[in-house]
Amino acid sequence: MNQFQYVRPTKQKAAIEALARDANAQFIAGGTNLLDLMKRGVMQPQKLVDINRLPLNKIERMDGGIRIGALALNSAVAEDQLVQQQLPLLAQALNAGASAQLRNMATVGGNMLQRTRCHYFYDTALPCNKREPGSGCGALEGINRMHAIFGFSDKCIAVHPSDMSVALAALDATVLVSGPKGERRIAFLDFHRLPGDTPQKDTNLEQGELVVAVEVPENAFPKNVHYLKVRERASYAFALVSVAAALQLDGNTIKAARLAMGGVAHKPWRLTEAEAALVGKPATEETFRQAAAVAMQGAKAFKHNAYKLKLAPNSIVQALKNAAGLA
Amino acid sequence: MKEQLLQDGKAVGDRMSRVDGRLKVTGAATYSAEYALPNLVHAVLVGSTIAKGRIRSIDTKAAERAPGVLAVITHVNSPKVPGFAAKQNPDEPPTIGQPLRVFYDDKIYFNDQPIAVVVADTLERARYAAGLVKTQYAAEPHQTNFEANKARGFLPTQAKRNPKSPQNDYDRGQKDGYQSAPVKLEAEYVHESEMHNPMELQSIIAHWEAPDRLTVYDKVQAVKGTQRAFAKDWALPEENVKVIATFVGGAFGNGLHNWPHETAAIIAAKVTNRPVKLVLTREQMFTMVGYRPKTWQRVAMGATRDGKLVGITHECIGQTSSYEEFTESSVQQTRMMYAAPNVSTRYRILGLDISTPIWMRGPGEATGAFALESAIDEMAHLLNLDPLEFRLRNHTDTDPEKNKPWSTKYLKECFQAGAERIGWSKRRMQPGTLREGDWLVGYGMGVGTFGANRGVAKVRAVLRADGSVLLQSATTDIGPGTGTAMVQIAADALGLSPDKIRFELGNSTFPTAPSQGGSSTVNTVGSAVLAACTELKQKLQQLGGAAFAGAAPDQLTLAGGQLGLRTNAAAKASLADLRKQNNGQDIEVTTEAKPGDARQKYSMYSFSVHFAEVRVHALTGEVRVTKMVSCADAGTIVNQKTAGSQMIGGAIGGIGMALHEGALMDDRFGRYVTKDLADYHVPVHADAPPVEVFFVNKPDTLVDPIGTKGIGEIAIIGVAPAIANAIFNATGKRVRELPITPDKLI
Amino acid sequence: MAQENLNPTAPADDHDEARRTFLKQTSVLTALALTPGPVVQAAAAQWDEKVAAAFEKVPLKLDINGKKYRLQVEPRTTLLDLLREQLHLTGTKKGCDYGQCGACTVHVDGQRVNSCLTLAVMQDGRKVTTIEGLAEGDKLHPMQEAFIKHDGFQCGYCTPGQIMSAVACIREGHANSEGEIREYMSGNICRCGAYPNIVAAIQEVKNGGQKV
Repeated sequence: MNQFQYVRPTKQKAAIEALARDANAQFIAGGTNLLDLMKRGVMQPQKLVDINRLPLNKIERMDGGIRIGALALNSAVAEDQLVQQQLPLLAQALNAGASAQLRNMATVGGNMLQRTRCHYFYDTALPCNKREPGSGCGALEGINRMHAIFGFSDKCIAVHPSDMSVALAALDATVLVSGPKGERRIAFLDFHRLPGDTPQKDTNLEQGELVVAVEVPENAFPKNVHYLKVRERASYAFALVSVAAALQLDGNTIKAARLAMGGVAHKPWRLTEAEAALVGKPATEETFRQAAAVAMQGAKAFKHNAYKLKLAPNSIVQALKNAAGLA
Repeated sequence: MKEQLLQDGKAVGDRMSRVDGRLKVTGAATYSAEYALPNLVHAVLVGSTIAKGRIRSIDTKAAERAPGVLAVITHVNSPKVPGFAAKQNPDEPPTIGQPLRVFYDDKIYFNDQPIAVVVADTLERARYAAGLVKTQYAAEPHQTNFEANKARGFLPTQAKRNPKSPQNDYDRGQKDGYQSAPVKLEAEYVHESEMHNPMELQSIIAHWEAPDRLTVYDKVQAVKGTQRAFAKDWALPEENVKVIATFVGGAFGNGLHNWPHETAAIIAAKVTNRPVKLVLTREQMFTMVGYRPKTWQRVAMGATRDGKLVGITHECIGQTSSYEEFTESSVQQTRMMYAAPNVSTRYRILGLDISTPIWMRGPGEATGAFALESAIDEMAHLLNLDPLEFRLRNHTDTDPEKNKPWSTKYLKECFQAGAERIGWSKRRMQPGTLREGDWLVGYGMGVGTFGANRGVAKVRAVLRADGSVLLQSATTDIGPGTGTAMVQIAADALGLSPDKIRFELGNSTFPTAPSQGGSSTVNTVGSAVLAACTELKQKLQQLGGAAFAGAAPDQLTLAGGQLGLRTNAAAKASLADLRKQNNGQDIEVTTEAKPGDARQKYSMYSFSVHFAEVRVHALTGEVRVTKMVSCADAGTIVNQKTAGSQMIGGAIGGIGMALHEGALMDDRFGRYVTKDLADYHVPVHADAPPVEVFFVNKPDTLVDPIGTKGIGEIAIIGVAPAIANAIFNATGKRVRELPITPDKLI
Repeated sequence: MAQENLNPTAPADDHDEARRTFLKQTSVLTALALTPGPVVQAAAAQWDEKVAAAFEKVPLKLDINGKKYRLQVEPRTTLLDLLREQLHLTGTKKGCDYGQCGACTVHVDGQRVNSCLTLAVMQDGRKVTTIEGLAEGDKLHPMQEAFIKHDGFQCGYCTPGQIMSAVACIREGHANSEGEIREYMSGNICRCGAYPNIVAAIQEVKNGGQKV
């Protein structure tokens, strides 16, 4: 790991200024991904601005929803009563991620800003356009069993690793950010981006902007939700495919639905058309199968990840069954 | 001479807690990287980024100038290791060939080969500076793709040279005699390379205490073997090299070879004249310290319609490096496991531009059992026979390979106990028909066997003034609880309470013992403990005079600080008196024990059978092993608790082998892409079901005087096929490629 | 006594000046480094190192196992490496260094964390408990006793992390069933496969109702 300057401001303004002064500076919160990448030489910031002492860890009711401070720990959010009652999908997604220890360290903001776990991104001896633009995408013709089936480009086929973000994408969250130019809100679905020709950019955050909070609007999904995470061991592994499913049921009829997938694209993959295909229908496996088929339109596989073309729709069906209480 | 058998006592068989348990739960157990030597400095290895070729140039200037850096050593400036020149083709175990000579020349044999070591005053500085070393290569085309090179598999040199080598081709009855059977099958089985991945990273502290005196604190399974290897490398008398491995944080076989990083640390210590600590990174654990090699196997099998095996043909190709011939016993169990009149086996190795493999728990046999025991299950299905019944119909009460009686074999008892405990009767003959909600339920079994090996070892036994006994032997303990078992054996041998006995190991200055490997430590070292205790008592008997004359050793006891006789409560000699007779000295013996000629007359194996209950999700293909029962015919069980833990651990290791493990390489670069514990999955708590263990626990005193046969390997051999067979039973899908990940089941 | 540690100071501003000076110095050194020659080498060997040693470190206060430490550390030093390499508290283990195995688990202000994935400076002012601080003198913690009784380990290397995690698992209220324990202990890998024994140990302590 390279040497770097370390500062630990206690005020938000100071933190943003500390970062703005230096192009090669990074905020550090939990550090669970950044330090991992720094140890491997994938990221080499010259300055770390430790934001852990900023007062940004509150979980609170706000007008029309719940605001979760960017520095709220993943475990604190998952265990929070308000979250468990009103956003059980988010609590489930958080508990599906990482380990108890990591959830005690990782913050909400940091979780969203995780980099991909693509093998090629992680190994500085291998090509990766995200790490080193222009070096090529190692995964495209390489080992790509973990990789994207939606929204990829010929520059990058990596997937976003966060579970929490899949739930937030389903729940129409908004990200509150603050930067040198002031505060702004970014719809969660616009927060992460597709790789296109600039896979080095994971998000639409601008240089120097700090994630301050995530706001989740009130919703109709206090129950009938399920976060399904399919992985290669029973816990503590990244998703092959994950599904955040939320249903509002009137008797057996679906009044509203939210669906998003993880492990399939460079960003949390919201499935609005599949949601539309669910509304007004009876909550049956057959309905879920049809919605899953809608969800999979446009999916395309590479050499090693064709299984996702079957696993993803199956997982959608299973998540919806679980949400509807049919399992 | 007939060996003294172990007297029935209270200690052996007891569920005694580990003698080193307290050290381990308090963090006080000291592993190899944890010795606080004065002036210690840190070394970090730099690995190559090509798989084959030469180093054209290596720029170390920036690294040398980085703060705190004491030395950057490469092939350009490395001091010559005397043994490297002399050691052309050393034909030594564990491999034939030329072990990698670190920093010897500019040649690259595999990706991430160590090409430089950076030494600095702190770990952080060494690690940073290691990243500053810049290398230019003249790359050559490499071959790492197993399938593309399979045709190049060859008969190992040791087989070519020695017609008696078990690696030779084997035919019993008709070659490929299975072909004449009315019911036949043929199938290919593959598994990827598996990494030992012990939790402790491979580490060493190398310390030249004088220019000709080397001490290493090293994570190895053989302190004497390591001592010999380094003494040879550095042209030193063996006694000038001291190897310490008091605690070893798991190894599973990867400590059975000496590896380049060890010599790199020794070189670094020589250059800097400081004690040097070198700890591999987790990625380097994938490339620098061996692995279970990827293999391809083909099993062809024929049987009569009433379920009698006619023949089995078992072929295997295992990968090795381009510079060493690593071999293992993947096909050998097929020769002796079943009563088939016709058996053919072929074993080949395939040299690729990768690092050298090394035995991993249940080596070879675990690989081979996946193929053989899967094929047995496939044949049972073809015959519409219960696979347990099919195995019983082909059970053999003598070794059909060597035509000798078994020393002991209680496999049928294991079958029965296991079937009851797993609830075998719930198993459906028709696959895919037992369902609980969205989960398909299945049951499977797999048999394991491993040679009940025994080597030669010496133990020193010292009776001290306080009445306690100290035992020492240069064995190691990678986790099974060696010290605990030895104390229990000594307690019964001496008639002394275990808390009065201390067993020390992991130090090359102790009396010689072989490596801890091949499930043979208790057989070998335990026998030497018994022999040393017996000799110690005989010495005391002499010192004790007339009252004890003529008594058999097993009648002598040491309880209560005095020598006693089981047959005569009146005969007593105080320790003080005995010491007086011994000129006031500690009473000490060093005794060797070695196997007798029973090995020529009998065939000696441990046996196991594993039963698995699995659930497979009908939509997602996720597999959960929900229960396991592991049964072992392993002779006397010295400690029910620690032996049980070994069996449980083997079962869970086998779950990893079956469901999770396999390092993936991008052959374009000849470089692994899954090389840490996030990408290379090993089982976690959530993957581990309850494992019920059953031991036959009948002594086999032909193997050794304690009656043990060995546990470590049979704990895992047969587990992977048990799970694969259970998955077939649950789903009707036969997966012949490990690991069985969800993508293979949906 | 612990009061001071619960009120972390913010040393960032204190050493900012020193940092700036150091950065100036290092630019000089970088420039020098581009000019080869024996003089520069000598300067680099002596001067660079001394300057670096003086300026690359930042002050750090920690309470570790009830003992107060005032330290100077490089910001890049992880809590794990500080414990193992500088303070010789080697009970906390390095198994992967990437937060993928749990061998390095310690408690920071009572919460279990992976000490390999946090910088020591980030924990300034906090209270750290390692395996060495779990027993009360010679009296083992009930979890340590239970691990011995149930043989919750073989090689022992993951054991300190398992025990620290197990204690936290009960304190967090996540030890209510075998299944819950397995899930919430999954961040601690045991390659020897002692898992069922570890779960048995945790259940015994939990059901025994002893204070953990």
